[in-house]
Amino acid sequence: MGAVTSPSAPVTTTGYPWPIETSRLPNGLRVVVSEDHSAPVVAVNLWYDVGSRHEPEGQTGFAHLFEHLMFEGSQHVGKTEHMRLVQGSGGSLNATTNPDRTNYFETLPVEHLELALWLEADRMGALVPALTQETLDNQREVVKNERRQRYDNVPYGDAWLRLLPLLYPPGHPYHHATIGSMADLNAAGLATFQAFHQRYYAPNNAVLTVVGDVSPDEVFALAAKYFGMIEPVADIPPAPTGRLTGPATEPVRETVTGNVPAARIYLSHRTHPFGTAGYDATTVLATVLGSGRGSRLYQRLADGSRIAQPDYIGAYGVDLAHAPAPLIITATVKDGVAVETLEAGVAEVVASLTTEPVTDEELGRAKALLTTSWWRQMSTVAGRADALSRYATQFGEPSAAAYRLPGWLAVTAEDIAEVATQTLQPTSRVTLTYLPQSESEPTA
Amino acid sequence: MTLIATRPDSGVARPYSFPTIHRTSVGGGQVIAAHLPGALLATASLLLDAGATRETTGREGTATVLAKCLEEGTAARDSAGFALALEGLGAELSTSLDWDAFRVGVSVPVDLLPAAVALLAEAARTPKLDPADVLRVRDDEVTSLRMEWAQPGPRADAALRADLFGAGERYGRPLHGDPASVAAVTADDVTEFHSSWLTRPGVLLVAGDLDRLDLAELGAAAFAGAAGEPLVAAGPLDVPIRDNRRVILVDRPGSVQSTLRLGHRAPHRANPDYVPIWLAATVLGGAFTSRLNHLIREVKGYTYGIRADFAMTRRFGRFGVSTSVQTAVTVPALTDTVGEIARLRLDGVLADELEVARTWRAGQLTVDMQTPGAIAGALATLVLHGLPDDYYATLRQELLDATIEQVSAAAAKHLHPKGLTVVIEGDAALVRDELVAANLGEIVAAEL
Repeated sequence: MGAVTSPSAPVTTTGYPWPIETSRLPNGLRVVVSEDHSAPVVAVNLWYDVGSRHEPEGQTGFAHLFEHLMFEGSQHVGKTEHMRLVQGSGGSLNATTNPDRTNYFETLPVEHLELALWLEADRMGALVPALTQETLDNQREVVKNERRQRYDNVPYGDAWLRLLPLLYPPGHPYHHATIGSMADLNAAGLATFQAFHQRYYAPNNAVLTVVGDVSPDEVFALAAKYFGMIEPVADIPPAPTGRLTGPATEPVRETVTGNVPAARIYLSHRTHPFGTAGYDATTVLATVLGSGRGSRLYQRLADGSRIAQPDYIGAYGVDLAHAPAPLIITATVKDGVAVETLEAGVAEVVASLTTEPVTDEELGRAKALLTTSWWRQMSTVAGRADALSRYATQFGEPSAAAYRLPGWLAVTAEDIAEVATQTLQPTSRVTLTYLPQSESEPTA
Repeated sequence: MTLIATRPDSGVARPYSFPTIHRTSVGGGQVIAAHLPGALLATASLLLDAGATRETTGREGTATVLAKCLEEGTAARDSAGFALALEGLGAELSTSLDWDAFRVGVSVPVDLLPAAVALLAEAARTPKLDPADVLRVRDDEVTSLRMEWAQPGPRADAALRADLFGAGERYGRPLHGDPASVAAVTADDVTEFHSSWLTRPGVLLVAGDLDRLDLAELGAAAFAGAAGEPLVAAGPLDVPIRDNRRVILVDRPGSVQSTLRLGHRAPHRANPDYVPIWLAATVLGGAFTSRLNHLIREVKGYTYGIRADFAMTRRFGRFGVSTSVQTAVTVPALTDTVGEIARLRLDGVLADELEVARTWRAGQLTVDMQTPGAIAGALATLVLHGLPDDYYATLRQELLDATIEQVSAAAAKHLHPKGLTVVIEGDAALVRDELVAANLGEIVAAEL
């Protein structure tokens, strides 16, 4: 064997080296196909351009609760049959809702492609006839349990719920969290959900992507067969505008005293919308700052001054496309360290992004990590299908997925300093602090 | 608008085969590799016979502390230098510990794998293990565990495990230890664990485009300086089952949910009923459409999810159910859960639900094994349990061929609703009276 040399990552010109074919049905449904015959599997993925950003005040959590209802049967599919048919075909399936959109996806052995398309078409075209009060009541309870399990019963679990209203002003589509409030969920009526489906679950508001052991012609024909008769919806109301006049100008702070094991801080800023050059720079910046043991935060605060717990320090962007997306920086105190010391330490590291240029080594490290994470997402047909749906939905062109990785690799140290100067100033900072309840105080 | 009313039939199943396996012996170690033509990422994982059962009693967590110390500098460079070298390749060291093995792995673009494996070996074979660093990492791990144990779940899991396997046995203690046992770990414990168990060659698992990889080169890097014979595996444990249910209440004041864990002991992985047991558990609680999820989530709305499984290792197994339910329905959720376990044991499985379980599990073999990481994990299963190269093809067929009689017999033989330990981690003041009244079993205090 030879000595370890210093290989450099291969030059990457595209992040999507597979074929992409697109088509649009007369009813407006965009169909994207990417062939890959390396395994007899297929991923089916639908993005509906509706998320919690569309929810008016008093109806928070509706887009997500609706996502649950989509699994409870439709005109030709009995209650719970959807899951049984997909799993009974050897498939994996799920769906998620975020502020921007709702996605539905399954991966199956390829001989069941037609089943997946039939199921998706039936719930796109005819969910309302199957939607009952009983189903709504049951799924409302499931969602309330989801909220308890994921947010309310977990230390720091509600951080995201608290950050959003501090980051985005009232009336902004990102002001409230996707999970919604218990009060709004309790008030949810059947008629509202019927209207929700009729308004947003339209072929002209969706992208269907199929990736795997298929041919484009076969998929286009099947898409026409199963989705072609679904009527488009005219005048789908857009979400409220996400426009903001630059970064926030006043720092905001919230302190929560509660049942947490150690003090933790979240520093957050609005940056740039996902998909822009500014957000590519933000993504690389977040990796330089807070991803991995070689990151500035880890090196300086976990390994260096040792004021932060090494397992709970990091920075990441939340990839939202319809307004400047948040960058979130978090750290948790080590025993005996004052939270003020930690906050000052984190603030200093963040400030260093403007004053100390990012080195070639730091930049190379961040780009190498991002390269691996990109190819990891692309290593499954499901990961590829979701990316193509995203780029078709948000940027009108699935092949734009190929530009993300080169976009990251093109980011320079100057770009990072510029983004830091623009968006990470203390004046635009949201600081959320969790403090443990002292032993003497009664618990709530 | 008329949608197509009838469900389409499935097309012709296309053949699936597990990637071709290559085996190479290098310098006392073995390289086992799966060929993934065209894959852009590649994974290598060093599998060492250094599972948690090798730890000393009272020092549970030693191997976990060691795993974290591997990146605190090596004989060749300090921790910052190591992090920059490894992350500069786009790799992060993934260490994992279970009851059977200690694994250290990397995933990178395929051409960077040789360099990443050299760094992996440097960390695994020649960590610096400076005592001051080890103690700092240990203290961080104690803090980290305290954070984790503040969440619902770990205390309930520990109570169940202690009751099933005995708090004095290694198997009866948490896999990664608890805050107290980790606090007792010394720098010598960590150094000794390394010199005793991480210096044998072990097995290097590789998944990637083998046309672009030299297995001998990878093996030479992974096994350099390693010595010693493979260890002899100990035999399986007995499977004692209690006559009466036990109920353990773990107090979590103010909790808005009760975290539930139910379980009993079960056979080890290599037992002949493995496939029918797996399918019985799938029908009970392994799929979204399983009986438990249907009743407790979809019909009753008590929970966001509930699952049942058999966890099986080389020496022992356990049957378990886990869920979180809103506090007010704790007792009805438990009664329904125990009822479903008893019903499956008594009446067995039905044709249609078994059909779903069979095709789902068989299909999942195809769906799940797409990435180099997943394939490397599958190779590890072959090595740990001494399974042949054609195992996944055989398993697929066994799943598809399993009969109602076989799966019902496995449920009858391996489910013991009357011998369950039932753990409730929740607001004891709110649930205790109702639990006593429900008479699910003898209520004992948690020893935590």
